[in-house]
Amino acid sequence: MTGPTVVVGEVADGHLTGPTLEAIGVARALGRPTVGFVAGAHARSAGPEFARYGVLEVYVADDARLDSAPGGARVGPLREVLASTGASVVLAGGTTNGRELVGRIAIAWDAAAATGVTELAAVEDGVRVRRPIFGGRATESRRLTGERQAIALRPHAFPSPAESPGTPHLHEVSPGALPAPLAAAERTGVAPTVRGAGPGLTDASIVVSGGRGLRGPENFHLVEELAAALGAAVGASRAVTDAGWRPTSFQVGQTGRAVSPQLYVAVGISGAIQHIVGMISSRVIVAINSDASAPIFKVADYGVVGDLFQIVPALTAEVRRVRGL
Amino acid sequence: MEIVVCVKPVPDAETRLRAAADGKTLDAEGVKFVLAGYDESAVEQALLLKESIPGSKVHAIAYGPAPRTEEVLRAAIALGCDQATWVDAAGDSSGDPVTAARALAGVLAGVPRDLVLLGKQAGDDESGIVPAALGQLLGVPDFSCVVDLRWDPAGTRFRFQRPVETGVESWAVPTPLVIGLQQAWNDPRTAKLPAILKSRKAPIGRTTPASASAHSLPEKFELPPPRTGARLIEYKTPQEAAEKLVRVLREEAKVFP
Ligand SMILES: Cc1cc2nc3c(=O)[nH]c(=O)nc-3n(C[C@H](O)[C@H](O)[C@H](O)COP(=O)(O)OP(=O)(O)OC[C@H]3O[C@@H](n4cnc5c(N)ncnc54)[C@H](O)[C@@H]3O)c2cc1C
Repeated sequence: MTGPTVVVGEVADGHLTGPTLEAIGVARALGRPTVGFVAGAHARSAGPEFARYGVLEVYVADDARLDSAPGGARVGPLREVLASTGASVVLAGGTTNGRELVGRIAIAWDAAAATGVTELAAVEDGVRVRRPIFGGRATESRRLTGERQAIALRPHAFPSPAESPGTPHLHEVSPGALPAPLAAAERTGVAPTVRGAGPGLTDASIVVSGGRGLRGPENFHLVEELAAALGAAVGASRAVTDAGWRPTSFQVGQTGRAVSPQLYVAVGISGAIQHIVGMISSRVIVAINSDASAPIFKVADYGVVGDLFQIVPALTAEVRRVRGL
Repeated sequence: MEIVVCVKPVPDAETRLRAAADGKTLDAEGVKFVLAGYDESAVEQALLLKESIPGSKVHAIAYGPAPRTEEVLRAAIALGCDQATWVDAAGDSSGDPVTAARALAGVLAGVPRDLVLLGKQAGDDESGIVPAALGQLLGVPDFSCVVDLRWDPAGTRFRFQRPVETGVESWAVPTPLVIGLQQAWNDPRTAKLPAILKSRKAPIGRTTPASASAHSLPEKFELPPPRTGARLIEYKTPQEAAEKLVRVLREEAKVFP
């Protein structure tokens, strides 16, 4: 007997996040009943959001403590939902918290687990998943066997689902008491990601990154203006973050963030292997660099060999023109 | 402070990846396995903490097959770890991170540990499952994507940051805990030759975990079609370059409307 699929929802600014919507789409494509689960201060507000995308049964652990407790605090209420719905699959979006939850629930619910999944299909005794490995240099397919599977998707690997509005049925889940080791951990602050007006680096579907080729922080606005025109997030190479032109939260690469947007634009970045591993799984890569032999052109799909100080402003103007900005 | 750092042997970055004869996994024949990526940062951070907290010890533990696992443990000792334990994965060819976490937890349960440090994800499969699974198995809080991990002796707790999608979180957490590290205070050190030579004779503990059957099995290992290199835009003026690039991005790559 295969049971329903539970989608773990994440909420930001009162809305389900992009990665959650992608998970809803995947769950619906699995063709089994889909239920939603949300924990945190405004969990109830996610009910109508889930229902907009056809997920009508929504389990909510509406408790502000779950926002500031370690992620492990969500395991208890989620496990309760998995048990009461007789679920077979848990799906989380491709976020840090989604991935962590999958690791914990693999143990707490004794499930097979996979993260960073880009394809997924129900098979006879479980679920087959496909996922990039080795920084996108290879792909593996795995069979998750047994009766229970916990899966986190790769961000942007799946489209958001079409709307299919209905009326949600909310089910309250009691978060219960926090286990003592978790209660002792204290979240002392949250600083919003420095992101200008644009999207966050790892959720953005377009990322424009700048490197040492920009010569100094006073020129970084060239990258930011192009990003703003594209509706993109801004990233940077480590040369830029090490020099303090931008905070480390901008850094893409091995010791920074791994991003996999639809479009990645590398401006004045040479393409060191430590940078490449953080962006190679982007769908389309564009490089702008004055050195035709820069390694970035080996991994890029499209390249412009030229002076970024001329190319980038022209590109920004052209993007603004075609987008009517 | 009893610090345990868990590491995984992964193919050297220069490795030319190939599928094994059965097409299911990486062909490990002739591959050099090393301590790398986030794991290397975890070892560095463990050593930095040891150097800054009097009376600390670092115990390196690795799950994997012979001989590569012993080799990365020797590398960890050469860098300055005090003790090493090899959890022999003989018989487990699943590459399943949950199975690895269970095997590691079996050993961790029996050793002194205030802090369990790992890379936030392994350099090969990039699952990021083990730190969270270990937290659950050991019944202690776990955090991944951690940067700026510092011991606060007055408050007797670790303080660190976690840059996640929704913002940069700051935490204060007493021991015991599990940390999946994103970045150490500095780049990893390299081992000195005398230390490397000495590490060859260092004793390495070995244990065999109770056999477990993995629920995640490899079916296919594939390489993407080789990237053929960028198609270069030909242009006479920057405006022409911009127009041509925007056109291919919209019409051919369809990345924006
Ligand atoms: C352990 C370790 C971890 C690391 N982690 C990371 C990481 O996470 N992320 C990361 O990015 N790096 C990382 N690095 C550093 C990495 O090796 C490179 O040093 C770094 O990526 C270089 O940044 P860059 O490309 O901006 O600078 P450079 O390599 O200096 O390249 C600048 C580029 O700009 C081009 N250029 C110059 N002027 C112009 C112009 N007018 N117009 C157009 N192009 C121009 C040049 O041709 C050159 O290709 C790491 C290194 C180590 C050792």
